[in-house]
Amino acid sequence: MHVFHVRYRNTQGTLMRILTAVVRRTIDLAYVQAEPCEHAHKVTLLIDVNAKQVGQLCRDWRAIVDVIDVRPGVPIKELWDHVPLMPHPPQSVGIIDEARGATA
Amino acid sequence: MRKGAQIVLTCLRAEGVELAFGYPGGAIMPLYDALEGSGICHILTRHEQGAVFAAEGYARATGKPGVAIATSGPGAINLVTGIADAKMDSVPLVCLTGQVRSQLIGTDAFQETDFFGVTLSLTKWSRLVRSVEELPGVIAEGFYWARSGRPGPVVIDIPADILRANAEFRGPVSFSPPRTHEHVGTESTFSATLSALLQQAKKPVALVGAGARLSGAVDDLQRLLDLLDIPTFATVHGLGAMKQDSPNYLGMVGMHGTRAANMALDETDLLLVFGARLDDRVTGEPSRFAPQAKIVHFEIDPAQLNRVRPCELSVIGNLAETIPALYREIQRTHLPDFSAWRTVACGVDRAEPRKPGLAHPTKSFLQELFSRMPDDGTILADVGQHQMWSAQCYRASSPRGFITSGGLGAMGFALPAAIGVQLAKPGTTVLSVSGDGGFQMNIQELATVHRLGLPIKLVIIDNKYLGMVRQWQELFYQRNYAETDLSDNPDFVEIAKAYKISASLIKEEEFMDGERQNEVRERLDRFFASPEPELLVFECHPEANVYPMVPAGAALSEMVFEVAEKE
Repeated sequence: MHVFHVRYRNTQGTLMRILTAVVRRTIDLAYVQAEPCEHAHKVTLLIDVNAKQVGQLCRDWRAIVDVIDVRPGVPIKELWDHVPLMPHPPQSVGIIDEARGATA
Repeated sequence: MRKGAQIVLTCLRAEGVELAFGYPGGAIMPLYDALEGSGICHILTRHEQGAVFAAEGYARATGKPGVAIATSGPGAINLVTGIADAKMDSVPLVCLTGQVRSQLIGTDAFQETDFFGVTLSLTKWSRLVRSVEELPGVIAEGFYWARSGRPGPVVIDIPADILRANAEFRGPVSFSPPRTHEHVGTESTFSATLSALLQQAKKPVALVGAGARLSGAVDDLQRLLDLLDIPTFATVHGLGAMKQDSPNYLGMVGMHGTRAANMALDETDLLLVFGARLDDRVTGEPSRFAPQAKIVHFEIDPAQLNRVRPCELSVIGNLAETIPALYREIQRTHLPDFSAWRTVACGVDRAEPRKPGLAHPTKSFLQELFSRMPDDGTILADVGQHQMWSAQCYRASSPRGFITSGGLGAMGFALPAAIGVQLAKPGTTVLSVSGDGGFQMNIQELATVHRLGLPIKLVIIDNKYLGMVRQWQELFYQRNYAETDLSDNPDFVEIAKAYKISASLIKEEEFMDGERQNEVRERLDRFFASPEPELLVFECHPEANVYPMVPAGAALSEMVFEVAEKE
């Protein structure tokens, strides 16, 4: 697993372009976190990539208009191990439950 | 107060837009309603794909952004192929699309598609406009990105209510990017480094791609190549960027490139790449591309570097700036004597085996056509066998003189693109060569040609097959011609006449008949001399193939030649 930090201006579609550059290479996004960072935004990605893909991705990200910089991290397993487990998919409210609620 | 539609059109004029290609519909109607008196000439095509290819043709011929307009949903979606084509071939293109009104976005309304989302991975930049006030800024920024750096496609999706809304308008604005991208890998001392690499090299070569003409550095590049005096070849988009009569020029490289170019590329120890992406059609099997070479890559788009393998030296920047810098350095350097290498690489031994095969009449026909093209003329090729034959026969030294859908390989490109080229270059000769398959993909644009009275010279190379696919089926799928037979093609001459375009047919046998040569040549002369649009159908052998050919997965040195062809 590799960690990348991509800093970008949070304009329409920029985050999606960053993610699409990964997905189009049939690479799974194991972990993504986007957050404000100083005067811009930062997205942290944890993905399983080989050395050639690292180069391709970094160059593709840098070519996106509103990407400010790309910082590849070292391959780490620990970050993945510390990702808290979240229920997925989110639990839904069934129509029967809703109907019960309405009746009550 | 001005309406959003008027603001859009005023801003387009401020960006220098005179022509726009499009097709109206519900969500974009407010823009069309405001067109009259806007100073923008709108060209109505008969399909949105025709509009976007025409806009591309205009952009490829001029270097200025082409503008395509479509309505929401199906209209916008029909632009997608052209947008992808512009991305691959670095064409400045601005697509303005109508969107359902803001309140309805996300409700699966009539003719609603998430066009912003659909085109996200195909565009260089895009916006779904959220208020009438942001229109001037969005348009200025869109045109900036379409033109700047490596040119590319931009989408501006405008909800109908924003086009109808009124707003205070202080006039068009200009856009300056917040900050320049860091140029990774740029070396200020690149010239000295390259000079040292040249000193060590025994077999240097130069590969020229589209970047040469896109940057306007053709003259500087030719001066540099003259100084280097090394074997040179071009990608399909680099054709015309160099002096074709130079003894160092080896023609096109790649899957259907010349034997000399591909062999030189296989043997070189120093490959200088000027503005080319090095895609698989150029490299053959990437792991066996230029196996002994150190690569020096001059490129404006950092995303294109190191795709095949790491470069020895990457020079990121506009060729118009980097080439003169290199020239100055090389001028001060005493270059090694490459004459022995030149003699081998450019020698007659490297020519293709000359055996007239089934494609010979078609290539002779194309050469006859091309020999009649004036220097300022433009040849467009669609996609398929005729495209590669045309590229192989192209001999002019005109940087924007050969236009084709090279990266995406979009059939149906040539006819509508020729409309854009002819409008961009009135008074010049525009020749559009298509296959029988591709021509039918945008055949409806004959109506546009007729309506505008454009004197485009249209040629169909009719082999009654999807020829390139059939060739691959013949060579790699045991002649299983699955679904490539077009023997029930319509009568193209009659179809053209239905569109009120003069048309005629030449059969291969007729063209090759020595006794009828003068007659045929006179017909070709008349074809070019006519001030009207004309269609010429050339019926060729159904099983003629394009050679040389590098099979998929093979190295460039493993070309297949026409000697293997059936009689």
